[in-house]
Amino acid sequence: MPRVVVTGLGLLTPLGNDAPTTWDGLIAGRSGITRLTSFDASAYDCPIAGELHDWDPTAWVEPKLLRRIDRSSAMAMAAARLAVTDAALDVRAEPPGAVGVLLGTGIGGAHLIVENQQLLDDKGPRRVSPFLIAHMLPDTASGLVAIALGADGANFAITAACSTGGAAIGEAAELIARGDAQVMLAGGFEAPLRPVYYAGFQAMRALAEHPDPAQASRPFDRDRNGFVLSEGAGVLVLEALEHAQARGAHIYAECSGSATTNDAFDMVAAAEDGRGIQRAMERALARAAVAPDTVDYINAHGTGTPLNDRVETRAIRALFGAHADRLLVSSTKSALGHMMGAAGAVEAAIAALACHYQLVPPTINYATPDPDCDLDYVPNTARRATVRHAMSTSVGLGGHNSALVFARWEDHSRLEDNS
Amino acid sequence: MTAAYAGATSNHARRVVVTGIGMVTAVGIGREQTWSALLAGANGIRPITLCDPTDLDSTIAGEVPDFNVLQYVDRKDARRMDRFVHLAIAASGEAIAHAGLDIPAHRDEIGVMIGAGIGGLTTLEEQFHVLFEKGPGRVSPFLVPMFIPDMAAGQVSIQFGARGPNYNPVSACASGADALGTALEVIRRGDAVAMLAGGAESCVTRMGIASFASSRALSTKRNHDPEHASRPYDLERDGFVLGEGAATLVLEELEFARARGAHILAEFVSYGQSADAFHVTQPSEHGEGAARAMQIALRKAGIPASDIDYINPHGTSTPLNDKFETMSIKTVFGEAARAIPISSTKSMVGHTLGACGGIEAAVTVLSIRDQRIHQTRNLLVPDPDCDLDYVPEGPRDLAIDWAMSNSLGFGGHNSSLVFRRWDG
Repeated sequence: MPRVVVTGLGLLTPLGNDAPTTWDGLIAGRSGITRLTSFDASAYDCPIAGELHDWDPTAWVEPKLLRRIDRSSAMAMAAARLAVTDAALDVRAEPPGAVGVLLGTGIGGAHLIVENQQLLDDKGPRRVSPFLIAHMLPDTASGLVAIALGADGANFAITAACSTGGAAIGEAAELIARGDAQVMLAGGFEAPLRPVYYAGFQAMRALAEHPDPAQASRPFDRDRNGFVLSEGAGVLVLEALEHAQARGAHIYAECSGSATTNDAFDMVAAAEDGRGIQRAMERALARAAVAPDTVDYINAHGTGTPLNDRVETRAIRALFGAHADRLLVSSTKSALGHMMGAAGAVEAAIAALACHYQLVPPTINYATPDPDCDLDYVPNTARRATVRHAMSTSVGLGGHNSALVFARWEDHSRLEDNS
Repeated sequence: MTAAYAGATSNHARRVVVTGIGMVTAVGIGREQTWSALLAGANGIRPITLCDPTDLDSTIAGEVPDFNVLQYVDRKDARRMDRFVHLAIAASGEAIAHAGLDIPAHRDEIGVMIGAGIGGLTTLEEQFHVLFEKGPGRVSPFLVPMFIPDMAAGQVSIQFGARGPNYNPVSACASGADALGTALEVIRRGDAVAMLAGGAESCVTRMGIASFASSRALSTKRNHDPEHASRPYDLERDGFVLGEGAATLVLEELEFARARGAHILAEFVSYGQSADAFHVTQPSEHGEGAARAMQIALRKAGIPASDIDYINPHGTSTPLNDKFETMSIKTVFGEAARAIPISSTKSMVGHTLGACGGIEAAVTVLSIRDQRIHQTRNLLVPDPDCDLDYVPEGPRDLAIDWAMSNSLGFGGHNSSLVFRRWDG
């Protein structure tokens, strides 16, 4: 069965409009969270968010198309182009059917639907945009990327709430492993910063409140009180190893295993025993044929809600036993906020980069230990470490869980050259 | 020109069978109710009741009539779910009972993939109005979990206790087919012994109708004559009629099904998928993308095109879809295309978007089970561009060993599923 490697990364996050800038921000321990400016939020309790800063969609999408599509699709197209450029992949030179696209999102075209609901209510059904329906769908970005880049292989989207990105990357890797594609552009995107969704999360009492936006997202800290809603996109170029080697591609890491599960417990709350996410990790490791005690880093879901971080800690302890105390576990949501359907994808890229650089980004805003969260969360400062295997885990509303395993890629040919 | 990527043929030892079906559609609540109505050529298209259609360009739809969710879910849970989830739970419960599957006994090895193309539009519209009229403090804490499209898969898992692989594969109007295809692969690779897979959608809302009407996809000429509005392959077709519904199939690994003595309805043999990479809403030239999906499915089934005995097509009743889909079938099947009966379920239940791939796969399996196919309703005036055998006259007995179900979606997604008669 073909092995699958990561050869390109494209990220748009509150810390930067590409992967290198995002990574540098994470390693420097910076926060990307600011006061919310995407809409007039004066009527909201604590309007803070992780927004893209100084991102210009016109640099990525031609004006006529940009007028028709949702912000989230433009972000997905930019991230896909960044990833393909990073991978030095010429999609159009690949055989027909070899390159597919699988991008996930939690909700789809949030901006377009809000604009058009207003038009429908104020001006009647005939004023609704003819482009709304096609461009609000969760799968449209996968289609747009296929069209823009000429990737005519397998193509769909996955939605699994906040577990979306992890599920999409896992399924894309399986598509390559079973031979249905040689390259997949896989990941997630979300642009949820519209009033109706913000109000919905606020009503759930899920959003963090803090006078200083940069300190609001504090996963695993005793004083955490919710997550910060963010926008973002992450696309990984996943490639069959032989294909990558044949074209001399640079390899960040191997994507060696994945799994999804469901708690089958509650539509909103995670099961307190953490069995669902534990089973996802267990199965992903089995799939990768990786012994748990060779995992050195977990990029956790770590949202900053009281329940999530406690449950996740419990699941990691239950699965890894004594090794849990040697593991590094960090939540990059501390710096980026929660990018919903994009979170799992961006965090997968971060796990791959941790393998690549042998460097682990910190959990920032970690000040006061919580007795229920007693792992090494790499507080506040990045850490140099041996990372043989890194995992990325995601948990979503609806009881969805996903886990991915990445392995350090040792470039044997280069080692031989140097000897 | 570079040769197409050869792709996989059949690299999996595990075989997958269909052992249960549940369906909720505009022509019936329940599998056999729907199937017998389809064989009778029933009409499911009627004036809209689920929202105020007065100023909408299309005022008809394929609504599920007299659906009482309290038969399937208790009142408190039901209030916290959108209608598309209600339909998914009804269909899934029926499918599980049909298969006689004991989920609690294998709960970690059974997963759920229910494709939903849009999600809880009814809930979203209601909450928009709460937000505009009463402010953010009054918006429901259940807005997000009721709206998000993965919640059919999530809630089916919660209601029935299936804890295996779980998410919502979305590809617009091909979602149900991609959910089934992905679930097939999940079983093949050993990640589950059984999957509940299919589609669910309920978007008969003002925004649902307005947005499709605005994109000129809906039939608007026959609001006064709903029963003749959905007319795939007919010369006078003028768009699709929006429908709602759900279908769930129980897919099982063959040895698992045998060991528990399950009754096998058909074998689910292969799944092909492609992207047009051409245009968001228009089919690629000559239906090239759809043809590739069918060719991939045939290659993975390891059979020549001529083995296919029946095709349940996408057949939406839009001028473009039916013409280009016909071309794609001719591309794949050549001269033999004329000998293959093709009948569109949408002629009776309308276009159920993310659900249709599930419903039509269910219909395809029942066609194999009963060796009988339903007609394409309302095909009265032949279109020279649509010159295949669409079974216009009524139901037909047909010897079917192999059958194909095709779905095509906005975004240029194409999916093709191949099923085979089970000899036992």
